[in-house]
Amino acid sequence: MLELEAVCSQSGSFRVDDVRMSVADGESHVLLGPSGAGKTTLLELILGLRELESGSVMLAGRDITREPIERRGVGYLPQRVSLFPHLSVRENIAYGPRCRRRPACEYAPVVDDLVEATGIGHLLERRPDTLSGGERQRVTLVRALATRPRLLLLDEPFTALNESLRREFWRLLKTLQAEHGFTMLMITHDLAEGFFLADRVTVLIDGCVEQTGDKEDVWRYPATLPVAAYLGIRNTFDATVREVDGDEAVVDCPALGGSLRAALVPGRAAPPVGEPLALGIRAEFVALRDAAHPPVPGEYLLDGRITDASVAGAEVVLLFKPDGAEATLEISVSHRLLRRFDVAMGQPATAGLPPGDVLLLQAQTTPVVARRPPGQGGVR
Amino acid sequence: MSFRRLTIGSAIAVLVIYGLLIASLAYYVNGADLKAALTSTRVLFSIQLSLVAATVATGLALLLGVPAAYALSRFRFRGRQAVDSILEFPIIVSPAALGAIILIFFSNPLGQWIQEHTITFVFAFAGIVLAQFITVLGVAVRFVKTALDQVPRRYATAARILGASPSRAFFTVDLPLVRRGLIGAGVLSWAKALGEFGATIMVAGTMAMRTETLPVAIYSRLSVADIEGTVTLILILLAIGLTALFTARFLLRERRRA
Repeated sequence: MLELEAVCSQSGSFRVDDVRMSVADGESHVLLGPSGAGKTTLLELILGLRELESGSVMLAGRDITREPIERRGVGYLPQRVSLFPHLSVRENIAYGPRCRRRPACEYAPVVDDLVEATGIGHLLERRPDTLSGGERQRVTLVRALATRPRLLLLDEPFTALNESLRREFWRLLKTLQAEHGFTMLMITHDLAEGFFLADRVTVLIDGCVEQTGDKEDVWRYPATLPVAAYLGIRNTFDATVREVDGDEAVVDCPALGGSLRAALVPGRAAPPVGEPLALGIRAEFVALRDAAHPPVPGEYLLDGRITDASVAGAEVVLLFKPDGAEATLEISVSHRLLRRFDVAMGQPATAGLPPGDVLLLQAQTTPVVARRPPGQGGVR
Repeated sequence: MSFRRLTIGSAIAVLVIYGLLIASLAYYVNGADLKAALTSTRVLFSIQLSLVAATVATGLALLLGVPAAYALSRFRFRGRQAVDSILEFPIIVSPAALGAIILIFFSNPLGQWIQEHTITFVFAFAGIVLAQFITVLGVAVRFVKTALDQVPRRYATAARILGASPSRAFFTVDLPLVRRGLIGAGVLSWAKALGEFGATIMVAGTMAMRTETLPVAIYSRLSVADIEGTVTLILILLAIGLTALFTARFLLRERRRA
């Protein structure tokens, strides 16, 4: 449906560089990345609001790189609602179909359906300035879909809404997409939103695609250090591959004071022996061990002490200092789980790093196209 | 004195200064003069000439000024700064100097050719319109640009994405959103054109029943020490101007309610 080929664009000192990505027909694709990563710039390039320096944008097999904005046939839901204040809700919705010279008999049934699905029937004669934030966003969504675009671009449209409204919109979007069959490319920096709505995700950092793939795959196996950092993996350490042993790699990690095993990602090439890389482990995957909770086979065990404990909502974040090691590990455990362990500040404790949860991360930026390993999946 | 009182006092002072000047006219007003003026063919011609010339000049200024203001507000192009800077040119030079510049232009070969092959401007109705047009053009562009600057670009962008061409987005989104500014610009330009004197007298002269606008007629009466006649004409000019301004305010208030 949408193909970006080697897209480059310069805007002041910021550069979108050699972006290549594709979105399949009917797919829900989410572009993730920290603020300033170039997500909005990329959307503006697709919309035609910015000029490409080089590369091409193909939509449904048509090169739209040089097409005027109004002929691209792309729907857009911006972060900042832009309903026309001088028109009623009904006139706002009819604006697009009228511009495209669609007869009322053609677009009216679609609009009726959208109006019913979004529950804005009672708002049609009102002016945008009399609507609440959620109502405005619903109307904007209907207005964008009234032209029956094959591709809908969403630029963090729910940022200004409260949590429950946002979740309501996520479900509404999924329902509408299933009913109307449009393709969706959404940008967000909210991981929960992104992974809820996505079939596939692309992580953009500093104007470059860092990783793209199925959402489960990207979540489970971030490929590079920046992606891991963006996804909230705070335990990252320099390491070197010592040897590859079947479906595992043995890596030297001086910061953790030894060598440990990490599972190789199925479908991804094993790192060359001797190559410096980074090792990452999610704070929630570091296991506390004691006599009642013995280690699993192959687990790398670290003896040390808990140096800090902070309550962070539903979980407790512990800082664990391994004996004789430079690094400090962050461990995230639920309140319930923590009650089962006999751990106290400054007292000895044991942490386990299961090989399957130790990630090998490319330290340098190289785009990675990840594929879902067979038999694996599911967002944790 | 508190700051609040100081500012309100300043505002009242503005009213007092202008109010005193207007009120001073009352000393020379009499009903007979006013009636005679309103039935005088010469005065009625001046009123008609002033109204028509100011309307045509304002219409032309907006016709050129609105797209120009749109370009200045929305696009970055070579020469933009120069255009923006020259808008105040008619304000910087005195009206008399502006009229002199227009006259000098028509003394040049290009101006002479225009006069010979198109319309006669010097000492003619077209000259009055031209003088007023040149006087108000910069003001009209400035007002409309300021109004357009306040309309967020995201509306026109949304219109384009929904399928509107640039001109359709302008006429269906930007223009309706800027209507209050446009009315304001139109009325103020019209009022300024109506009261224009310096440039008009330089270009069109003071020929009664030909090029004598209301301000020019006021000058003519004053130059022969006809104070009562002068005051009468001033009051007519004032009434027309204030009616226009209050009509505009009324229209804008109604629009806001809608």
